[in-house]
Amino acid sequence: MTETTTSSRTAMIEVIKVSKSYPPNVTALADISVSIASGEVFFLIGRSGAGKTTLLKLLSNMDKPSTGLIEVAGMNIHQVTGNKLAKLRQKVGMAYQDFRLLTERTVAENIAISMEVSYKKPQIIRSRVRSLLAQLQLEDKHDILTGDLSRGEQQRVALARAVANSPTLILVDEPTGNLDATSTAQVMELLVRCSNSGATIVIATHDETLYRHSTHRVMRLHNGKLASLTRGNEI
Amino acid sequence: MNFWFSVFRQTGRNLRQTWTTQFMTCLTVSLSVLIFSFFYLIYLNMLNAGDKVSDDLRLVVYLEEEPGPEMQEQLRLKITQFDQVQEIKFISKAEAYSRFAKELGDNRDVLTDMPTDFLPASIEVTPLRSLRSLSQIKLFSEYLATLPGSQKVQYGQKWVERFYYFTQLLSIVVLLSGFLLILTATFMVASTIRLTIFARQEELELLKLVGATNNYIRTPFLLEGILLGLMGSLLGLASLYTLFQWILRHFSGAGFLDLFTFTFFPPEIICTIVILSIILCTAGSYTSMQKFLRI
Repeated sequence: MTETTTSSRTAMIEVIKVSKSYPPNVTALADISVSIASGEVFFLIGRSGAGKTTLLKLLSNMDKPSTGLIEVAGMNIHQVTGNKLAKLRQKVGMAYQDFRLLTERTVAENIAISMEVSYKKPQIIRSRVRSLLAQLQLEDKHDILTGDLSRGEQQRVALARAVANSPTLILVDEPTGNLDATSTAQVMELLVRCSNSGATIVIATHDETLYRHSTHRVMRLHNGKLASLTRGNEI
Repeated sequence: MNFWFSVFRQTGRNLRQTWTTQFMTCLTVSLSVLIFSFFYLIYLNMLNAGDKVSDDLRLVVYLEEEPGPEMQEQLRLKITQFDQVQEIKFISKAEAYSRFAKELGDNRDVLTDMPTDFLPASIEVTPLRSLRSLSQIKLFSEYLATLPGSQKVQYGQKWVERFYYFTQLLSIVVLLSGFLLILTATFMVASTIRLTIFARQEELELLKLVGATNNYIRTPFLLEGILLGLMGSLLGLASLYTLFQWILRHFSGAGFLDLFTFTFFPPEIICTIVILSIILCTAGSYTSMQKFLRI
């Protein structure tokens, strides 16, 4: 196993000996430890069922680890509750594998939702929504119900919602699964832009082209265990 | 965008999305308010009418013989032995005759051949206001019947009794309709909010994940409860006022209604009904939220 350490930057995510099991005796993650630096782009790879989505769910506090500790921005996220948890979640943007879009709301409303909860001004929300739609070539879909979009378009809307509130941590589950090469490039461009502005990005993916020639760190999971941690261009 | 702006927008969106259910609930609440306030209005007016009637309440003790001054004093003493009274007035045979003649007005000719002492002398006793419940009046009239020389005691027994039982019945109806109001307002609003929560489960889950605070998620449901209570009660009271005006227009001048002055609720009662309705609906909303909103 190749070990690749984080740079000297402060850690945004600390995963320490984390395991997650589901009854009766399914081990989704076993003894995972990793540190992800602030502003880093980090890839999670592995076959379906390897534990990528489970790890993202633990990082976004959608689920709790069975054992171990996860810290985000120095906080044990599973001990944070109430308004503190809400504030923390406002700083974490997540694009889900199943998109979790409100299919009876428009594209603009879906993207705006993450900014509305942090009480952004309506004009700021409108301008940010338009800018994101332009970056993802979805300008003409502004007032379309997300239920009427194609899977690829829905995927991009989900990503736009994840990054809309300028979070410091962006978790992305299979961001390019339904996209053609052009759309994939647009999505990656958007994520790189977020990274350049200081956001930490964790991407779970099957798509080798995203990390193969990059210098970003890539963690391979196999049956819930850490199989390798290396640079993309070293694989 | 501040908290309240976001919450009001969220509430408006909820109402738009589930307006049919909300509208039906609003109608149910208003109907309950209408039923309750309708009976309560009748009850209040009956109590007012009862007060007016009891202002005129007099017990008339018809006597066998016209009492002399000494007898009058004895009778006065005996009456006040039972309780203090507002007024005791002795009516002589002649006075009774002249009153009757006056009441007959243009028809007084019928008395031409009658002797002026054919009507019995009587005592008119006006009880104190504190002694005006039906049971006390009954006891007092029984006591007056035992006075020496007393022939008969009259105070419109049947009418007073009927009126008393009618107001008793009305008070039960008011209580029942109040109970109905409580049930419909709380349970209907609770089930509407529950339906809304179920319908928006996915959205609420998402709101939670993108960092909405509990208050951001909960407050719109409470506002819906408040709005349902406010709109429902205002609609109910407005309907009652329309009905009240219609009854006044169409039935004023008719015998029975002419006896009493019917009035609508004073502002303080209107405010109480509206506030009560808001409290009940908010309680219904809160109950559903506590039970079904997993945040």
